[in-house]
Amino acid sequence: MAQERKETALEGNEFSTFYVGGALCGINILNIQEINKHFEITKVPQSSEYIKGILNLRGRIVTIIDLGKKLGLAPVEKSKDNRNIIVNSEDEHIGLLVDSIADVVIADQADIEPAPSNIGGVKGKYFQGVLKTDKELIGILNIDEVLKE
Amino acid sequence: MFEDDETLQMYIEESLDHLADIESDLLAIEEGGENIDVDLVNNVFRAAHSIKGGAGFMGLTTIKELAHYLENVLGLIRNLELVPDSAKISILLKGFDQLETLLKEIETSNDVDISEHLNALENITMASLPEEKQSTVSELVDIQLDDGRIFPQVSLYDINRYVEEGKNIFLVEYDLINDIHRKEKNPIEVLSSLQKTGTIIDSRIDFESVGTLEGQPINRIPFQVLFASIIEYDMAETLFDINKQYVHAINDDMLSTSASQAAGEPAPMPVQENTIPSTPEPSPAQPAPPVVEAPQPAAQTVEPVVEQPAPDAVQQPAAAAAVQTQRVEPAAAQADSQVSMSAKPQSSLRVHVNLLDTLMNLAGELVLSRNQLLQGINSSNSKATELSSQRIDMITSELQEAIMRTRMQPIANILNKFTRVVRDLSQDLGKLIDLVIEGKDVELDKTILESINDPLTHLIRNSVDHGIETPMEREQMGKDPTGRIILKAFHDAGQVNIVISDDGRGLNPNKIADAAISKGLVTDQQVAEMSDKQRMELIFLPGFSTAAQVTDVSGRGVGMDVVSTNIESLGGIIELDSTPGKGTDIQIKLPLTLAIIPSQITSVGNERYAVPQVNLNELLRIPAAQVKDKIEKVGDADVVRLRGELLPLLNLAEVLGIEKTFIDETDNTERPDRRKNLADRRSRKHDITESGEILEGSATDHANRSDSDRRYRAASALNIAVVSAGAFKYGLVVDKLHDSEEIVVKPVGRHLKKCTAYAGATIMGDGKVALILDISNLAQMAELSTVNEASQKAKALEEERDAAGDKVALLTFKNSESEHFAAPLNLVERIERIQTSTIEEIGGKKVVQYRGGALPLFELSQVADFQPLPDKDQQEVIVFKVKDRELGLMVTPPVDALEVMLEVDASTLKQTAISGSMIINEHTTLLVDIFELVKTLNPSWFSAEAEVAAEMAETGEKIILFAEDSAFFRNQVKSFMQEDGFKVIEAEDGQIAWELLKERVDEIDIVVTDLEMPNMDGFEFTQKIKADPTYSHLSVIALTSLASEAHIEKGKKVGIDEYQIKLDREKLMNVIRKALNLA
Repeated sequence: MAQERKETALEGNEFSTFYVGGALCGINILNIQEINKHFEITKVPQSSEYIKGILNLRGRIVTIIDLGKKLGLAPVEKSKDNRNIIVNSEDEHIGLLVDSIADVVIADQADIEPAPSNIGGVKGKYFQGVLKTDKELIGILNIDEVLKE
Repeated sequence: MFEDDETLQMYIEESLDHLADIESDLLAIEEGGENIDVDLVNNVFRAAHSIKGGAGFMGLTTIKELAHYLENVLGLIRNLELVPDSAKISILLKGFDQLETLLKEIETSNDVDISEHLNALENITMASLPEEKQSTVSELVDIQLDDGRIFPQVSLYDINRYVEEGKNIFLVEYDLINDIHRKEKNPIEVLSSLQKTGTIIDSRIDFESVGTLEGQPINRIPFQVLFASIIEYDMAETLFDINKQYVHAINDDMLSTSASQAAGEPAPMPVQENTIPSTPEPSPAQPAPPVVEAPQPAAQTVEPVVEQPAPDAVQQPAAAAAVQTQRVEPAAAQADSQVSMSAKPQSSLRVHVNLLDTLMNLAGELVLSRNQLLQGINSSNSKATELSSQRIDMITSELQEAIMRTRMQPIANILNKFTRVVRDLSQDLGKLIDLVIEGKDVELDKTILESINDPLTHLIRNSVDHGIETPMEREQMGKDPTGRIILKAFHDAGQVNIVISDDGRGLNPNKIADAAISKGLVTDQQVAEMSDKQRMELIFLPGFSTAAQVTDVSGRGVGMDVVSTNIESLGGIIELDSTPGKGTDIQIKLPLTLAIIPSQITSVGNERYAVPQVNLNELLRIPAAQVKDKIEKVGDADVVRLRGELLPLLNLAEVLGIEKTFIDETDNTERPDRRKNLADRRSRKHDITESGEILEGSATDHANRSDSDRRYRAASALNIAVVSAGAFKYGLVVDKLHDSEEIVVKPVGRHLKKCTAYAGATIMGDGKVALILDISNLAQMAELSTVNEASQKAKALEEERDAAGDKVALLTFKNSESEHFAAPLNLVERIERIQTSTIEEIGGKKVVQYRGGALPLFELSQVADFQPLPDKDQQEVIVFKVKDRELGLMVTPPVDALEVMLEVDASTLKQTAISGSMIINEHTTLLVDIFELVKTLNPSWFSAEAEVAAEMAETGEKIILFAEDSAFFRNQVKSFMQEDGFKVIEAEDGQIAWELLKERVDEIDIVVTDLEMPNMDGFEFTQKIKADPTYSHLSVIALTSLASEAHIEKGKKVGIDEYQIKLDREKLMNVIRKALNLA
């Protein structure tokens, strides 16, 4: 299923973009459940370093991942622009904490190029591809890879 | 095969439901033997029949066939033509087992080879039928309808049987489209409603008349049911609710020998025809003619004498069936738009309609209350808001309970199958066993029910295999040769209890202990300190087995650790009790559900953590002032002394690596807490010696710090949740203890699965998430075993320290505000608070009415030079018991109990009724001699002792050898021995006493000794006395300040005759007099 989703994603779709550790990244909007700013996060001692904690999202326990740390960049700094991007993965909701949200970008398949081995200090395996816009490069995240334990 | 997911699923569920009770019914039939309970047989018969009925329609040929054969045998039993014996029931049981397996793997069921079962069943049927009928059993006939269509392959035996019973046989043709689908019915429902008025012999869907895609558009899919009933043809139309033209009465003329069978002569053995011709035929996926021919050549090639079908004979029809399915799919798709993927096994649950109604009502009420709440909030009406919040609170609780009930399943679902397990096992092992099951109605959460199945099976097998002896052994032991296993379930204290008790040979604690030692699981020393129960519980240790030979049935002990782990993982407890030769009881306690658990909420830093109530023993709070005294450090671990036992402490913050913070009150920011040791209050420094003992911190340092202490005062106290899980018991140190709450367990995401410290998470009232602690895993994470070792060491250390001085339990109180007193706690009966107005003064003595009698009251100023008590409305009274009589000492609070090292100054402040003084909590405290006090007040109470003393004076004094190292006790005890007329020889330690004894053995009548003494302790002294025949006749009475179990055990071994607590004068003197046969 995930494979299918990815493919349709690359066929020209909407991407929600956001900043994390200075890099501009995007996720196919179809993967996103919601974007919120709940920060009543409960820390989970003994968990992996990139786990920010857990959150009550309307009765479900959602794990929040500090995307900055996960991608090997600087941890997300606390600011009023912080957002949780809640994505759906393997029947579970998982939150990605990002520095700030940017625009929704519409792109054609043709605009997406294969990811190089390294984008701005982030390993290439985390990306499905790179989207070039007039101004910037957007790294399109491979959600399955990012959410691997 | 039928491809409608929903209908198939419904069929499977219903069939499994039918099968659920069959086992116990069959076993009951077996027990009944010749006295056949027709109702019972009917139950089973109907079950088999219903399964068969549905299977025909679904195209589940194998299932249909098996059910059919089972039905035949049951029919014979029902008509009293066959006596069910053990062997026959076994075959039936196996048949039904197979049926269940087939139903559970429905997709492959048609390919399963069941010839073994069919053979066995067929043989039973054949053997009990008269010769001429035998052939009909395997004979199949086709039913030819007026319009030329045929209903193929019906068992002639069946038809004849129903005709003989006087029933009419009908072929009813429903139309799947118009009669069933359009009327929003369901084929299975139609079948079950038909079964109320008669018997379904067979059913099928007539796909042939549907035609092909090329032909006329389809408007009818006939669903044919062959039905036997006592109803007349005229009535049938109304019964079936369809047009008369589709109801055909069947008579003999319409029967013709089955076409496909005609191809190969009726086989002598049933195997072939079962396996071959019928496999594809009644399938609803009835193929086009070329395909239907396919299996026939296969049938013909089979040798007529086959006992097992040739493999290819089975394969071919299977392959053919596969082709058919493909072919028919388009038609089926048109017939039913719901065609979907193959049936997935989905777990579903039966819920009583009443319960659903309750849920609906509650949901309705919840909506109403929500509306009220919204209204209340909008209009800022706090009263209305409060009211509706109360309502919502109530409804939620009810809703929770109702929803929980939907998950509840009677435990009978799993207990019942043990009848079979015990039956089969005991037959294998040649044992006679009765299984009694009680409390089948007890309900448990579905998940728990499913998870206790395996542990219970293991325990039952153990009881059968190892618990119950063989009939011969039992007779030799004078027991009933039939063993008894009782399996009982009941509710108790919000938990479900399951008890498995057998009257077998029981467990031998010593054998278990020896085995555990030889396997290196425990040490000699550990075992020595264990009670029998603890020894038996060693079988729960991993890697333990006492069975001399491990049988294939079960090895007792093998897997007992798994059993206990399984049960504990469900939040349950397993306990063991056994009397060798008498039997074993195993008790399992389980929570009702796993979804909602009562928990203690605690917090560390700003986060809350829930501790499941099942793990919680008690809560402990050590006030700031006592932290230093109560917390000790053993090695690296902190321990606290709790009622004489050392409890290892785990600091939750340390185990989890939580960075401890506190709110700095000056600027309201979080600061890290730098406190390192639990005993370090507010950074106060302790000098720690190499042995780990904490030395007294300097008081001035403390005083300096306290001014600048920025933290809440309460935070300086230690809050401890005393928890236990399995073998672990420890104190969990947290920052705060909150309320106990019922929490809803929520699973955590996959990224947190490896954090074993948590059992899940929950959402608190304020919407924040709290983690639920896994007490057992926490202990493992902290390597608590090392802590346990440390506490062992601490115990040793402790004992050494005890030996150095005497610790006694005292009750402290005051007379006037400035006068502090203490009395031995063991003489105290209780403490009362009475109204001063109720005190009566009679004849110069004060009394108070108490439980119908008069309790004499006195105060210290009556006997010695102390201030009178201040006047108050209420009066605290310490009630002592002396000479079996109670008397109350009026005192001023606070009254407190404590344990102190006795360092008594017996001279400075000595006076009447005061044995000495000591410093307790920085106050000079006088030790009250209750005995002397009473004697001064009521000399007449002691007349008996005076008599004995007088008698001794005449007949010659008795001489006591008294060894005691503490001068205070020596004088104390000596003085009251002398008062009672004894002569005392004193010794300061065991060594001196031993020397004295050697010199003056002829004079000495009895030995009284302290246990803890320098040079030679009481144990060694006693051992010496008892080992030497010159002295062994002497009674030895041991005096001790705190008698522990271990001490008493040790003392008994060396030959101590009696134990007495120091300061209990009355008892000690009585024991001495008794030992010397005085009074």
